[in-house]
Amino acid sequence: MSNIKGFCCNYTLSVDLDALKKEGLVPEGLEIERLPCTGRLEVPELLDAFTEGADAVFVVGCQVDKCHNLSGSYRASKRVKYAKKILEELDMDPGRVEMFFADRGETEPVVEAARVMSERASN
Amino acid sequence: MMAGSNLENVLRSGTFAVTGELGPPKSGDMEAVRKKARILKGHVDAVNITDCQTAIVRMSSLTAGLIALSEGVEPVMQMTCRDRNRIGMQADILGASALGIKNLLCLTGDHQKFGNHPQAKGVFDMDSIQLLQMVKGMRDEKRFQCGEEIKKAEPKLFLGCAANPFADPFEFRPVRLAKKVDAGANFVQTQIIYNVEKFRKFMEMVCDLGLDERCFILAGVTPPKSLGMARYMKKFVPGLDVTDEVIQRLQDAKDQKEEGIDICVDVINQVRDIPGVAGVHVMAIEWEEAVPEIVKRAGLSDRPEPKGVEPILTSTSAIEEAVDKARNEARLELEGQLEKVKAEAQASRELLAKEKEKVASEISGLKKQIEEAKNIVSSKEAEIQRLTEELQRAKRALDEAHAEGAAPKPTYEAGESVAMVSSSKLTAREQQVLDSLNKGLTALKDVLGLSDAQFEAMRRFLEAEFMLQFGAAAGQVPEAEISPPPLEAVKEAPVQEAAPEEIPEEKPGRSKEVVNLVAQGNVALHAKDYKKAVEVFKKALEIAPEDEKAKEGLEEARQALQEEKEAADRAVKPKEVAGLPPCPDDIDPDEWKRKWVIRFTARGNVALMKGDYETAKKEFQKALELDPDYDKARDGLKRAEAKEDVYIPEVKPGEPVTVEAPAKEAPKKEEKVEAKEIPVEEAPEKKEAPEAKEEKAEAVSEKREAKPKAKVEISAPTGEGVGDLAVSPLPKDEPPLEERAKGIPEEVYKEPCTGVIQSVTIGDGEKAITVGGETALPFHAFEGEIPNLPKTAYEVLDAPPEEWPEVLLKHYSDVINDSAAWARKCVNEFGAEAICLSLESTDPNGANVSSADAAQVAKKVIEAVDVPIILWGCGNAEKDTETLREITSLVENRNVCIGPLTDANYRTLGATAMAFQYPVVASTPIDVNLAKQLNILLENLGVHLDHILMDPSIGAVGYGLEYTYSVMERIRLAALTQQDDKLSPPIICNIGREVWKAKETRLPTDAELGDQEKRGVLMEAITASTLLLAGGELAVLRHPKAINLTNALVQGML
Amino acid sequence: MIIAERKPMKELLSMVSGVKRLLIVGCRGCVAVCSAGGDKEVAILAAALRLGVKRAGGDIDIQQDTLIRQCDPEYIDPLNEKASGFDAVLSMACGVGVNFVADRCPGVNVLPALNTTFYGANLSSGEWKEMCAGCGACVLHLTGGLCPVARCAKSLSNGPCGGSQGGRCEINPDVACIWQQIYDKMSSMNRKEELRQIMPIRDWATAGHGGPRRRIREDLLP
Repeated sequence: MSNIKGFCCNYTLSVDLDALKKEGLVPEGLEIERLPCTGRLEVPELLDAFTEGADAVFVVGCQVDKCHNLSGSYRASKRVKYAKKILEELDMDPGRVEMFFADRGETEPVVEAARVMSERASN
Repeated sequence: MMAGSNLENVLRSGTFAVTGELGPPKSGDMEAVRKKARILKGHVDAVNITDCQTAIVRMSSLTAGLIALSEGVEPVMQMTCRDRNRIGMQADILGASALGIKNLLCLTGDHQKFGNHPQAKGVFDMDSIQLLQMVKGMRDEKRFQCGEEIKKAEPKLFLGCAANPFADPFEFRPVRLAKKVDAGANFVQTQIIYNVEKFRKFMEMVCDLGLDERCFILAGVTPPKSLGMARYMKKFVPGLDVTDEVIQRLQDAKDQKEEGIDICVDVINQVRDIPGVAGVHVMAIEWEEAVPEIVKRAGLSDRPEPKGVEPILTSTSAIEEAVDKARNEARLELEGQLEKVKAEAQASRELLAKEKEKVASEISGLKKQIEEAKNIVSSKEAEIQRLTEELQRAKRALDEAHAEGAAPKPTYEAGESVAMVSSSKLTAREQQVLDSLNKGLTALKDVLGLSDAQFEAMRRFLEAEFMLQFGAAAGQVPEAEISPPPLEAVKEAPVQEAAPEEIPEEKPGRSKEVVNLVAQGNVALHAKDYKKAVEVFKKALEIAPEDEKAKEGLEEARQALQEEKEAADRAVKPKEVAGLPPCPDDIDPDEWKRKWVIRFTARGNVALMKGDYETAKKEFQKALELDPDYDKARDGLKRAEAKEDVYIPEVKPGEPVTVEAPAKEAPKKEEKVEAKEIPVEEAPEKKEAPEAKEEKAEAVSEKREAKPKAKVEISAPTGEGVGDLAVSPLPKDEPPLEERAKGIPEEVYKEPCTGVIQSVTIGDGEKAITVGGETALPFHAFEGEIPNLPKTAYEVLDAPPEEWPEVLLKHYSDVINDSAAWARKCVNEFGAEAICLSLESTDPNGANVSSADAAQVAKKVIEAVDVPIILWGCGNAEKDTETLREITSLVENRNVCIGPLTDANYRTLGATAMAFQYPVVASTPIDVNLAKQLNILLENLGVHLDHILMDPSIGAVGYGLEYTYSVMERIRLAALTQQDDKLSPPIICNIGREVWKAKETRLPTDAELGDQEKRGVLMEAITASTLLLAGGELAVLRHPKAINLTNALVQGML
Repeated sequence: MIIAERKPMKELLSMVSGVKRLLIVGCRGCVAVCSAGGDKEVAILAAALRLGVKRAGGDIDIQQDTLIRQCDPEYIDPLNEKASGFDAVLSMACGVGVNFVADRCPGVNVLPALNTTFYGANLSSGEWKEMCAGCGACVLHLTGGLCPVARCAKSLSNGPCGGSQGGRCEINPDVACIWQQIYDKMSSMNRKEELRQIMPIRDWATAGHGGPRRRIREDLLP
């Protein structure tokens, strides 16, 4: 079982994680950290997640043009990009970190992101 | 002199310099450098040795330069600023100078990024301009860059730099060159030139800055080795302008390398004429073998003998080695020679001994023979003596018979000998005597072992003697003693071959003298000394003019002499064809014969046209003697025998053909003009012109008066425009050449040509015109035949002209909308001899009128006039094929001329033309070789050369006329003096279009440039007359006045 | 401004291999402005190194600090104390900072985290371009303010080489030909005649080829 770490903003995930796990919609090893806005996320936090044991890390933010904080999810995507570059330099698969965008209050994208990342982690 | 280098010498002498380029190897392979140097040696004045070009590590330029120098090739050492700082560079400069390098090309250098060490540190301590400054300082101020004095042996270097006319910013390029010249550049080599026009502009700017006066500019050229290379250069080499035309030419070429060389040569030929260009720099990178060919084709092979190209550095051991080697070689050679001489001496000694022996044995053999002969002779002498006595007895018997009153009738037949004397005249007795004499002689022959000839000589001699003695005695008192035959002569016979002059010449008695002489002649005859025989027989005839033997002998001797002479001629010149001038060495005798067949036929045709049927017959017969199967000559002979002229049957013999008769034509035009256009007050003067001309023909003194009048007419047109269109004939006031050249041998001023230009006939019936056929250079009628005058054709467009200036258009303004009416006007009003219909509107880049529509227009034009028609397409190969084929399907009954055929469409159009037997215009871009090639292609296709008019593409005066002129001149010289019959078709020049698009024909009348129309007319007429002088036979023109001027010139000169 | 960029992680990891306690020291001068060595970059580097070392099976204690500048003694000198107990100090300043730390902190094992690249300007976020070579003999008054020493691939002094085409440099079509720009600029100011003057051979001593350079202003000396 792989450890997946997800970062979600306040607006993209409204369902209880445990409920999802119970229904088997998301992997058991998924851990989600909720943030007021993904724009707050910095590169070191993404890297630290790996250091702390995650096999894959993802970020789910608002749609780029519909961010509650205007450009928060855009910033997050750029940081994910830089994190990918560092992973590459460290001989790690840059695909292990990814940015996803979701409409406000929808659960499916989070479930989908978790599924994609768990797949990548097991490769 | 800066450095006294060969390159400097050549450039300062004003010779057009050629430099090459040598890229050192990417190894320490000295042979590689030597090899390249040897390829270039003698073909260039100096060779650039590149300094790690494109930043790829190679043998250093200094080292490779020295190796080249040791091969006797002067190096131009290249030095870049990329790899060394000022310390390293100055050090190398001192070293180079010390070792005999005299030219230095200062470059900044390609950036290391392009090379095989892109990680290298580029030094760039200075740039090329600063490098020039530095070396100039070292040379002229004797100071290092730091200012310190060079105390001894400063470097003497001829300094060069590079210039790229194709880099940006373009307008700064000449300025940058000026900086280089200021900094010390003595010569410049430019970047590779393909875009000649841009280079021309660059050079204009350079000359404006006066740089051509301050340095020598060598234009850089490179043969593109392949299409790939050209494309690569175009795409990837910054600052290199490879034109689309070059790419296209390579794409179309069968042999790209060959084409590459041609492209390079073309560029050289073009840049040579650009003011300020002092030479070319041929860069055949990794293709050094191409350089000799390029230099040759560009006509630059004749390089000045290099001066002072000697390596300085040779190590002592090398010197010793060389001395030893030379010594050894010399010794070996001497020894060899000694051996040879010894052997020869030995051989000659042996030979001598052998010869001696042989001669001795021969002498003894001869002695024996002589001895034997003497014996035989003395025995025969006795026999003869006996016979003589018998003869005398016979005579006495005869006398007795006479005395008895009647001679006995001969009772027996003449003997077996067919005597030289008619037997009927002989009495039986005489016959008997003669018979026995003959028998004796035959016996004598066998005994003496005489050859038939010797025997015959002797026999004749004796017979003659006998007849004289006997005959004389027969009719006279038989007192005269019959002396025995002069045996000395007989004795001499065997030796006479060697020494006929030893025959005793004097014999008493008149008749004997003759006999002797005749005998002597016969002997000489058989000794094959025919000259002497003739001489002797003549002498004999002087004494006895009626002597048959002598006459016969003389005839025989003469004949033999003649035969001998012919045989000798044949032996000396085996290539000679009987009856023809000697065949030049470089021509195959069969070829020579063929040429003469053609020439005789051409002469025959000329005579035929002149109505001189006798000459024609003779010429045709001559041709047929050489080649009985030559159809043209046979036809000609038939016509000559039937007294039937090819072109105008009704012309009386001796009268020139109408179309070519200037006398007839000129007045015709004048009449027309008089009736129409001449202002009343001018009329009387005009009328005088034809009269004056007639008078001229009669009285020399009046010619001088007539001349100024004619001049006034041409040079003083009325106020605006060119006034009336008529042009008076040029006065032929010169006395004929024969008169002027009286007393000068012909060969001094005549240089007859050996070739003949094809005759091409366009049009049908009596309006047909024929051009070409000459055997002389243009207008050199005194050197050969010019059966057809150069002709002019009026250009008619298939649609209203869009860009014709008003001064030209006004003459056609009433007809521009109807090409047929236009053509009619040209013929009926202006007297056009031919029409050239330009199908300009079909151009796909212009109006793009459909081929079918254009064909309808052409059809109307062709039907509207009966003069010959030239159909000239728009120049787009594909469209022209379509249009001209369309037209030919409509007008197949008329003999039109179609063109232009180019290398792109000659196959299709050539086939069409062949089908209808149309003459064609073969069009090539100002190049002798291309013109020849197209002719060959057409000939291979089956189009005969006498159906081709060459269009060499021409330039108007001020727009490349000189170039055209020289190309046409070369074509014509090749055809006439080098028998290059692939260049023998006549030349057509489409002049009007070139002239009337020139800026100068469009600028309005003003005080400085004068009248617009007159200007245009003169430009057109001058272009036309110049090109006719260069060999043009048919000029397509636009302005009626220009055409009249041109015709007047032609008729005035021929 | 001095432009620098972080060294590749692999090089840094090998540099710190064996280091148990590491102090990463950023600089809030030029390198912070060009996003190479400020607070943010220090944090990222620390996280990246921790991850890298961990993945390599190692263990490292990384502390972070960022100085106002690393080219002034007053900011550097406290390092002497701060660095005690660390096996190494990884400086995220330009080369000047690293040198200065080395000069002034004898006991400190200072390592460079950045490659100092050039003197440049910030064209837009994330893009910097060289504008000066620090050659010590400025000729910008002669060239319309545009530097051929820094901005010409061959540092030409007397106009564009034969590779200038369409305003581009031959070494790379992305690079502008500075001599074309100089020509255009001088033309627009009606000064192009000045370009006819030959610029004499340069004295490269001022560009560092005369040895390490030093500047003294007497009036300011203590």
